[in-house]
Amino acid sequence: MEIPFVVTPRKDTGLTNSKIAIWLFLASEVMLFGGFFSAYVYLRVGSADPVGGYPWPERALPILPGLINTFILIASSVTVVFAWAALKLRQWGKFQAFMGFTVLCAVIFLGLKGIEYNVKFHHQALRTVDGAVIEGHLGYEKKEGVDAHAEAKEEDYVLNHHGKKIEENRINVQATGLTFSTVRFHKDWVEEILTEAGHHHSKITLASDLKLALKPGAAEETVLPAGTELSTEVLAKVADLHLKARANNADVRTEALRKAWDIAHETYPSKRDWQIAEKVSIDPKELEGKLMTEAPNLAFKVDPPAKLTFGPRDVKAGPTQSRLRDDTAIDGTLLESPMVFHAVDALDFRFLAMKAIQKGLDPMAEVEKSWVLANSPELREIWEWHKGEIAKLEERLKQDYEMKGKPKREPTFTERYRVEWKDFAAKAEGKPRTEREGVIKLKEQFMGPNYDDRAAAHTFPELSVPRDQVAFDSKFTPAWNPFYAIYFTITGLHGLHVIGGALVLGYYLFRGKKMYLSNPEWLANRVEVGGLFWHFVDLVWIFLFPLLYLM
Amino acid sequence: MADSPEEIRKKTKTYLAVGSVLFIGTVLTVMVATQEWLDFGGHGFDAYDCIVGLCIASVKASLVAAIFMHLNHEKKAIYWIFFGSFVFVFFLAWLLKLAHDSPIFDQFFYR
Repeated sequence: MEIPFVVTPRKDTGLTNSKIAIWLFLASEVMLFGGFFSAYVYLRVGSADPVGGYPWPERALPILPGLINTFILIASSVTVVFAWAALKLRQWGKFQAFMGFTVLCAVIFLGLKGIEYNVKFHHQALRTVDGAVIEGHLGYEKKEGVDAHAEAKEEDYVLNHHGKKIEENRINVQATGLTFSTVRFHKDWVEEILTEAGHHHSKITLASDLKLALKPGAAEETVLPAGTELSTEVLAKVADLHLKARANNADVRTEALRKAWDIAHETYPSKRDWQIAEKVSIDPKELEGKLMTEAPNLAFKVDPPAKLTFGPRDVKAGPTQSRLRDDTAIDGTLLESPMVFHAVDALDFRFLAMKAIQKGLDPMAEVEKSWVLANSPELREIWEWHKGEIAKLEERLKQDYEMKGKPKREPTFTERYRVEWKDFAAKAEGKPRTEREGVIKLKEQFMGPNYDDRAAAHTFPELSVPRDQVAFDSKFTPAWNPFYAIYFTITGLHGLHVIGGALVLGYYLFRGKKMYLSNPEWLANRVEVGGLFWHFVDLVWIFLFPLLYLM
Repeated sequence: MADSPEEIRKKTKTYLAVGSVLFIGTVLTVMVATQEWLDFGGHGFDAYDCIVGLCIASVKASLVAAIFMHLNHEKKAIYWIFFGSFVFVFFLAWLLKLAHDSPIFDQFFYR
């Protein structure tokens, strides 16, 4: 079939089909991104809310990777029009070069974005009960008997059933018994419990014989003897039996209830259903000999009692009994479950100070009273250094601005209440705060601080936070605060557009030769349309970069 | 478009110039946000610097739209399609504002 208006424009609009189509698509894109930009504006304005608000993390992202990505996108926007111009001039070699560069730019952009995301996903944040925010990296659970402070070797760490190290952010229970919900149990967690029990040479066995009537009205028989070891297969088998019994029992009860209604209708022929509903009930005799035994739960004992650990968000901990989200009940005493930072790399008192100001309290005094400064001498030392540096800054600003006759500039809220990892590094290297940019290595601009490099200088202190001080903890993911939520949403959506654009442009580059030879003008039109999309992707980034990285 | 080779060669020069302006604009935005001597509000980084930064971004975006996307000489239908969508964006943003200002939500936020 001949497609009309691919090269010659339609008479009424003066446009080719593809051009109209791409602009309609871009119009819909404007509305899509417009919605998210509006959301950004309202989230940001709303962050100043006196009750639900929090200090908007200005310039929380590293500028250099964002800046390089901006340059990359601009450069690729230029080369994509060059590629189009080369096609118009029928220069296939030049087209390939320019288009190849454009696609390469897209790949580099995505690579940098991937690094940026990865750093965020591995960076831990914690808000304590008093509102102080601690950032850094968690340590890993070590085997029993390993010195917690000594240099750890790979074999000193506990591994989970996936063979990965476990971060020291677990709820610990000295478990004596476990009761699983046979239909709701989460396989992965059961495997993990078995692995951990194995570490402690502890066995998880069925607490008592499981006796079930397997056929309607049959006598109960032992399906599993007491002492059967826990496994997902055992639970799955019981779940099967339970579901069968439940289905049978539901049918039997429905049948009995139907009978009861029939009798009621005969007894009270003139009454409405709602008037007799109270009098209708199942006759127990109807059920006799027809039911099977249901087994909704299965109780196991842990022998000898073992320390089991659970993710903080997966468990509702109690002093003697805890419950997992899959309805597994854990009997046993709750042990100390601290969150252990292997390296604290930032202290942020902005939230605490904001709340203090709202309550009419002196923010500085409240910061001094915070749990973290009271309990960590190393962090207290860093905070004292920071205060000294801010005092120096205040002095300098006073002089600078008075000399020039400008209105006085105070240290900003962020400068005053946030101590960044660059400050930690500057202090460790004995340099003033103003030279902190100079202490960062190039790699660290992209990847964040290198803890191994800086371990010798004790740049980043360790910290153990008791569970009752933890108000909220998260990696730097959308869960941490609305800024990261909107950051990941918009940049993620934008990243998908970059992938889509690169695929389309790559298709023209690698599969376009045939069309170039048969109908070069058509290919030129296609490249123009693909280029329009690519420019739009660039256009969105032109706003994203200042909004997310600079402001 | 029936562009002659001469016109296209001329255009590529324009594209290169616009590309350089975009680079310079980006550097300028970063400097407004980070450099003390380019401080507009006089109080460190504040709303004034935000506005200046976003104005530069808008100029950059307009250049991309006008030159790279050829919106400076385009058919009428495309203006209607593209700029029409902005009407919806502002309308939706205004709806968000209504929701934002609505006293109905106060019972959830101001306990």
